[in-house]
Amino acid sequence: MPVFFTEAADFGPFVDSLVRASRVVGPIAKRQKFVFGEVHSAQELRLDYDVTLLPPKKVFFPPKQAIASFDADRVDGEIVPIETVLLGVHPYDVRGIDMTDFLYREGNADWNYLAQREATTIVASCVQNVAPRAFWASMADGNQPQGHDAFLTQIEGGYVYETRTPAGEALLAHGNFREATADHIAAAGRANADALAQCQSQLPYSSAQIAATVRESFGDNAMWDVLAKDCFSCGSCNIVCPTCYCFDMRDTWNLDQKSGNRTRYWDACMTREFAAISMPGGGHENFRETHQERFRHRFMRKGAYLNEKLGGLACTGCGRCSAACTADIADPVKVINAIMEWS
Amino acid sequence: MAIDTHECECEKRESLFVPREARILHTHAPTSTEKHFTLQFVDGSPLKFQPGQILEVGVMGYGEIPIGIASSPTRTNTFEIVVRTVGRVSTAINSKSIGDSLWVRGPLGHGFDVEALRGNDVLIVAGGIGICPTRSLIQYIADQRDDFGRFVLFYGARDPLQLLFPEDRGVWRATHGIEYHETVDRADVSWTGNVGVITTLFRNTQLSAETRVIICGPPVMFEFVIRELDQAGIKRENIYVDLERRMKCGVGKCGHCQINDKYCCIDGPVFTYAEIHELEEAI
Ligand SMILES: Cc1cc2nc3c(=O)[nH]c(=O)nc-3n(C[C@H](O)[C@H](O)[C@H](O)COP(=O)(O)OP(=O)(O)OC[C@H]3O[C@@H](n4cnc5c(N)ncnc54)[C@H](O)[C@@H]3O)c2cc1C
Ligand code: SF4
Ligand code: SF4
Ligand code: FES
Repeated sequence: MPVFFTEAADFGPFVDSLVRASRVVGPIAKRQKFVFGEVHSAQELRLDYDVTLLPPKKVFFPPKQAIASFDADRVDGEIVPIETVLLGVHPYDVRGIDMTDFLYREGNADWNYLAQREATTIVASCVQNVAPRAFWASMADGNQPQGHDAFLTQIEGGYVYETRTPAGEALLAHGNFREATADHIAAAGRANADALAQCQSQLPYSSAQIAATVRESFGDNAMWDVLAKDCFSCGSCNIVCPTCYCFDMRDTWNLDQKSGNRTRYWDACMTREFAAISMPGGGHENFRETHQERFRHRFMRKGAYLNEKLGGLACTGCGRCSAACTADIADPVKVINAIMEWS
Repeated sequence: MAIDTHECECEKRESLFVPREARILHTHAPTSTEKHFTLQFVDGSPLKFQPGQILEVGVMGYGEIPIGIASSPTRTNTFEIVVRTVGRVSTAINSKSIGDSLWVRGPLGHGFDVEALRGNDVLIVAGGIGICPTRSLIQYIADQRDDFGRFVLFYGARDPLQLLFPEDRGVWRATHGIEYHETVDRADVSWTGNVGVITTLFRNTQLSAETRVIICGPPVMFEFVIRELDQAGIKRENIYVDLERRMKCGVGKCGHCQINDKYCCIDGPVFTYAEIHELEEAI
């Protein structure tokens, strides 16, 4: 696909034109941090962000998503995708989207996710500032992120826009683009390589090595006790993760007490009740009773079970969980390196 | 990461989570905590399923829960479930009566491999409410009795008042060709049968090593029953276990029912013991 260039001065009008044409979601500032939110004008868009609090999966898999509405004796499905341009997604987050695309599509296809996914055009962007806990440079395993329609890199004087799909190409009509020169393309290549070089933490093992060793470590209770010792079972590491996709389903009533919604909510396998079942007479049985078991399950999923299915760790290296964990024990680099080196 | 995310073979662009309306044709309450429902989809379509598959059954506004199908697919276009009052959703379901509706998704998961059972001796070990999902298989075998070898059925409950399906038990007991044994953990004055946990029934029953065995009951029961089966020389591949886990989606997405890397809702709830005996989270 061809590569284009737009002058710095033309970039704002491009974004503003997109905003007039459809819903645009992108990185915006929230106090000292960044979030993916609705962009109302080019001024709000912050492509210089390091990482957002929550990953962009929330566009397709919202923290709270109505599945069905009901009223007296009828139930209606609620698949209502909104045409959206998702702008400024970092490559590691595109990889997270690749994984959830696969996982929601395999077996029973989940159209409550996929319909919004298909209605969304994704413009990925170069990382200008690397978050302190990020380690995506060592997670790429040589593979390029796929699920995006165009890729944007800021270089001196403007932006390089690489189209990947016809949907990405269609957005060009909103701006003043010309074909990029060899110099522009080389500058974009350097900018992206620089970002990779800034990632500090490293995970120096292949995903196949990690899958095998993590799986084998299942019964190493002493090790899991040490690794999980300070866990509060708060679930924050799940909630901020771009590759976590577990959910709960609950019904809620409207004020009339006759109609309401069946809704799905993000859920977290690290929480105590996640695998608990109720027994008659008020008893409970919990299939993952201790926080060690739940901590282990998180790493079995990311490091072994989903890794084997996806052909790469179910971790993008975004570093959100490391930053979110009060006890500072969730960091996959520390945990996986510890598992690999445990003896 | 060599994953292909852009192809999709599925044509049906529908939600996996929207339930269908089923009308309650008949109910009765065999115990103080269980209710037995006969249901039919409002659109008249039959429920096509394998014995051992599950449904998500709900009341809108309260939610939905996994429930085993308690009738055989060999019978009419109605289907039956038995629900025990446990918490919020089961209480809402059990407050419904004839003419009301329940909202149903399914059938979900993998049931019993009836083809693998055909032609063989079969033992079913059902504890407590585990009799409900296995009833679909009991009826199935009873209805096609000539296709199966010897048929032994063990059923155990906490006390005589907890024993479900009184009419069925009468039939099973009297049916030539079903070796039916029942037991209770605690007897009352009226009880003249066996007293003791379900494994006590193995004492008086000789099993061939080729018997196919189905186990369904509370988690504590499995280990003890499997010990008996080991002694009888029954192979792991010939033992089927029907497992229970917390479930939400029923379609392999929500993560709640995961047992190591298997999902109870799509890989199970029926597993062979060979499949799961090395999964440390299984039993
Ligand atoms: C494969 C399978 C087959 C089952 N078959 C039957 C049956 O035939 N008859 C019957 O009465 N019960 C059956 N159960 C158990 C039944 O699903 C639970 O009793 C029911 O979910 C309790 O829900 P509640 O809302 O009333 O309880 P609450 O205590 O309010 O539970 C809250 C939520 O937790 C989850 N949950 C709690 N307990 C269980 C549990 N034991 N299993 C799964 N999820 C649970 C449910 O999502 C439930 O809505 C089966 C469970 C499984 C997994
Ligand atoms: S690892 Fe940290 S963030 Fe995750 S549940 Fe435990 S304490 Fe919470
Ligand atoms: S496990 Fe942590 S670092 Fe990996 S993708 Fe999830 S939040 Fe990011
Ligand atoms: S019930 Fe959701 S994954 Fe099995």
